[in-house]
Amino acid sequence: MKALIALLLLTASAAQAAPRVFVTNEEGNDVSVIDAVTNKVVQTIPVGKRPRGIGVSPDGKEVYVAVSGDNSIVVIDSATLKVARRFNCGDDPETFAVHPNGNLYISNEENAKASVYNPTTGALVAEIKVGLEPEGVAISPDGTHAIVTSESTNMLHLIAIPEHKTVANILVGARPRAASFSRDGKTAYSTSEISGEVKKVDVASGKIIAKMPLADDKAKPKDILPSRDGKRLFVAGGRANRVFVLDEATLVIQQEIPVGIRVWGLALNADGTRLYTTDGASGQVSVIDTVANKVVATVPVGKMPWGITVVN
Amino acid sequence: MRLPHLTRALALGAALACAAHPAPAALNVPLGFAGDPASTAWSGAKQGLAEAQIQGDFLGQTYTLTPRLTEVSAIIAAVPPAALKALALAHPGVPVLNVSRTEDTLRSDCLPNLLHVIPSDHMRADAEAQWQKAHPGSGAEARAWHSDFEKYAASQLNHRYAEATGKAMDDAAWAGWAAVKLVSDMVAREQTTDASTLLEALRGRLAFDGQKGQDLSFRDNGQLRQPLLLIETNKIVGEAPVRGVTDVENLDSLGPVACANAH
Repeated sequence: MKALIALLLLTASAAQAAPRVFVTNEEGNDVSVIDAVTNKVVQTIPVGKRPRGIGVSPDGKEVYVAVSGDNSIVVIDSATLKVARRFNCGDDPETFAVHPNGNLYISNEENAKASVYNPTTGALVAEIKVGLEPEGVAISPDGTHAIVTSESTNMLHLIAIPEHKTVANILVGARPRAASFSRDGKTAYSTSEISGEVKKVDVASGKIIAKMPLADDKAKPKDILPSRDGKRLFVAGGRANRVFVLDEATLVIQQEIPVGIRVWGLALNADGTRLYTTDGASGQVSVIDTVANKVVATVPVGKMPWGITVVN
Repeated sequence: MRLPHLTRALALGAALACAAHPAPAALNVPLGFAGDPASTAWSGAKQGLAEAQIQGDFLGQTYTLTPRLTEVSAIIAAVPPAALKALALAHPGVPVLNVSRTEDTLRSDCLPNLLHVIPSDHMRADAEAQWQKAHPGSGAEARAWHSDFEKYAASQLNHRYAEATGKAMDDAAWAGWAAVKLVSDMVAREQTTDASTLLEALRGRLAFDGQKGQDLSFRDNGQLRQPLLLIETNKIVGEAPVRGVTDVENLDSLGPVACANAH
């Protein structure tokens, strides 16, 4: 019994270790690991050519990296920070989302398809036909839906899981880049880079229920994330070099937070108090206090940071 | 001229919650091609057709591209200047998209239905002058496209085209591809195959990047605003508008904008 308690305490203290932020450096061909307490890079892990999308396994033990130039997914052990294994995953993987069951839903930019892989075995589970140049992938928290954006076909493809059937093909503004779901899975959000718009989709009907252009011609929005309480949306403004904070209900901009040059990636920590951004051309990560809506630290990382995720 | 984003934001803000798209209807979209079927403009247009059909399959739209020029939604044209003008005049209200001729006079004529996807000589000269200013002594040539271009998903387009045709994508092939894609994009958005509705929408509401990373639109003189590539000894050395000389998004620094300014 004492041993069990000791083990539980040990497990608890291990789980309470400082969260870490993992960042892909698209042109550096590596992954930077940041200690979220000290905001310092603690490790740089070479992964291969042109790493972009990044995500965490549901148990937090593994970090997956889409290495576009090598057509593979690299699996990093989040405790040892070493590459555990890698597997092939079709041509030009750009981004992916991790399903609650552990499978990866990957956009293959060269082909008009999304592919589903089991990252434990490296086996292909399913392929789903989508539009040209699929890019952003999101999975609803309950795992019943995925959204894949196709950049050159200007669509959001709403896919039912586990059937892997496309239930809606939603035409949106030019070059849709990223998507995310609300916590209850009823609403999805998406950005269109060239039309500079944010859209809100009702998942049940597969219809756009609101859209809003960002009031800045330079804004080429990429990542979009709801705050943990669901009341706000964070949008990476790309060339606007700002993060836009939108009211979730109206899509009206509440605040603009200046960050580095070419801000593309966004990730929140577990309690939602910190938002991390990849500022591509600045080679840095900005750390934003989401209560004060201001940058509290900038962390130099590798060359052209792109994807970002937090391991708690 | 497109509305500034702020105005659009206000207009759309008022229309929130009723912005759902109408259910797409099944449409047959006939497009005409005037020109040599052995040209790269034709193979580029065919590539655009294949990609338009991928979207069409999701929306129930069927695209065709044939030499027939009557009863079409738009005409893709790769013909000499006199024939191009005659074509535009013979099909009033039908968008005629020039994908091969660079002559400035075709732009300054300002025919209402003649749109130029390929950049003009004046645009190319302005791009080359900007490059000279930033890099004195460096003699780069401005082009619409290059098969080595990789940014903004250009590499994906170059791969698709090379795979389909066995050829490197050149300026006319890019313009042929872009012409079909921007028409199909408008058909999908406007849910119409009516040529005059499409012409008005192409002139006023285009949202298309042509794999060049910027929001391209048609000028009053019918010319497509677009960034250009600067090439030396068949290598890409830069992009115009040239950074340091002007804002890289100042597409109107390349070539005349309005009919009145053209000469």
